[in-house]
Amino acid sequence: MMLVALLDPYIYEGGVHKHGLILELLEDLGGYLVQKTAASTEVTLIMLIPRKDVHLIEELGTKLLGTITRAPMTGTEIAVVSPTLAYHHLPHSACDVAEYLRHGGANTNMIGLARGMGRRVALSADYERKLINEHDIAIFTFGTFSDCIMNKKPKLLEGINIPIVVTGGPDLNVEDIPNADMYIGNIGRVAHRLRGVDELKGLDRMNEKVGELVDRVREDIAKDPLAVLSPRVMKEIHEQIPDIHNVLAPAPITLQLDGLRVKLPYEDYHVAIEMLELDEGVLLSDVARITPSKMKNYILIKIRRRSDVGFIL
Amino acid sequence: MMGMEPLETFVVQTTVEAEAAPYRKIIEDVISDLMIAGAIGRLKIVVRPEDSLFQMVTILREGLPLMKVDDFADVGKGTSMGEVQIMIREERPLPRLLESLWARYGRGAVTQPERRTLLITVGDPKTEIPLIKEMVVDDPRRTLRSRLVDMAIRSTPEGFRVRYHSLDDNNFIFVASEDPMKQEWIDEADKMLDELKGDDVSGIA
Repeated sequence: MMLVALLDPYIYEGGVHKHGLILELLEDLGGYLVQKTAASTEVTLIMLIPRKDVHLIEELGTKLLGTITRAPMTGTEIAVVSPTLAYHHLPHSACDVAEYLRHGGANTNMIGLARGMGRRVALSADYERKLINEHDIAIFTFGTFSDCIMNKKPKLLEGINIPIVVTGGPDLNVEDIPNADMYIGNIGRVAHRLRGVDELKGLDRMNEKVGELVDRVREDIAKDPLAVLSPRVMKEIHEQIPDIHNVLAPAPITLQLDGLRVKLPYEDYHVAIEMLELDEGVLLSDVARITPSKMKNYILIKIRRRSDVGFIL
Repeated sequence: MMGMEPLETFVVQTTVEAEAAPYRKIIEDVISDLMIAGAIGRLKIVVRPEDSLFQMVTILREGLPLMKVDDFADVGKGTSMGEVQIMIREERPLPRLLESLWARYGRGAVTQPERRTLLITVGDPKTEIPLIKEMVVDDPRRTLRSRLVDMAIRSTPEGFRVRYHSLDDNNFIFVASEDPMKQEWIDEADKMLDELKGDDVSGIA
């Protein structure tokens, strides 16, 4: 029994003129606007649209001379983890990887480990692992040598319980990398911006494969759906906690596949978030775990499943 | 060893052959970032990741001349007594020139009435003019040394923090690992250097 319509992520790019029609239609269909970026006369809408109604938005979008593309990574928060923040890894290729994922609609956070360099000496701290585990997917950007990627670096993946993607230079099988869920080659250590045809192909392949991974996670979640959809919680926060509009952080509410990160200080706002009224008599704290995030003093919301709560809103 | 072309030999070897080309690309980027290509004659790098070992040997090109005042400025008598006038043709070395002049004559004695003109009050222009002409403003070898070290560190895999280096005349040896340094690795690098020296493009070993 499917009580919740599957939402599909799309990006609309078109003129500002009459784009309100799309927003109205989206609301009527029960979809959600994740992010709206207006730049002079152009507007970019990142939306979650009920799967069976996508064609309606497509038709309207085409009529308004805009384009609608599927952006599978919309509504996900991805950790791009580099062994350290030294110039060996940054800005290229770790930042290039993060930037490319954002093209696909993802929100990315760069995480540089304190002691992730080297082979025998590489290690990660408990705090770092917990921070990474707050995300939907972790992408570890490794280097050129297959021996390091297969034999030494995987210890950095231990204790990470979200899907793990590893990028590196050589062509390897994911089975050879313990604990990794996906390996993407051709993106190794580089000291220049990735703009060669082959390099961009590697990044395109990465977006495609990470997109597939996100789709798989979404299907998995749909089997035992979340008690409430995270975009719905976002909408309620926008309406019930007006202070969110004063937050200057990029993406004040960051959607995740099974929750949200709210960039308000935990100590001042966690009560308000817990008391967020989703329906008559149903508070957010009834259907979600609200905890302090390891990232700054933000609030992390993880929504519970139907089997746990017993109902869906 | 005279008259080497810039980077006439540039070899990168890794345990897995296919990984040498991408690593070479990293070194190329580092060399061009540090603008050091002109100073390097021959370069060989060996990386053995399974041993946590990075070896680099370099033969520097000779003949990087010292930069003297005479190379970029006309030095002559000033208009008033006891004054030397320097007309500079190139502005880049000016800050260093000023520093040297201040050190010798004091700040008060040096004036710059116009962008490309310096006036210095000296005791006896006759003896000071040849002296100023020969004044060394920049020694490319000195900055080269720090850039060379920078290049070595940037080229090394990041975790390899146990390092050995030696720079003697034009020969630079650098060995890095994350494990305690072994003498045999240094000996290997010495041998690499000898091979690199013998590898003369003119064909005369």
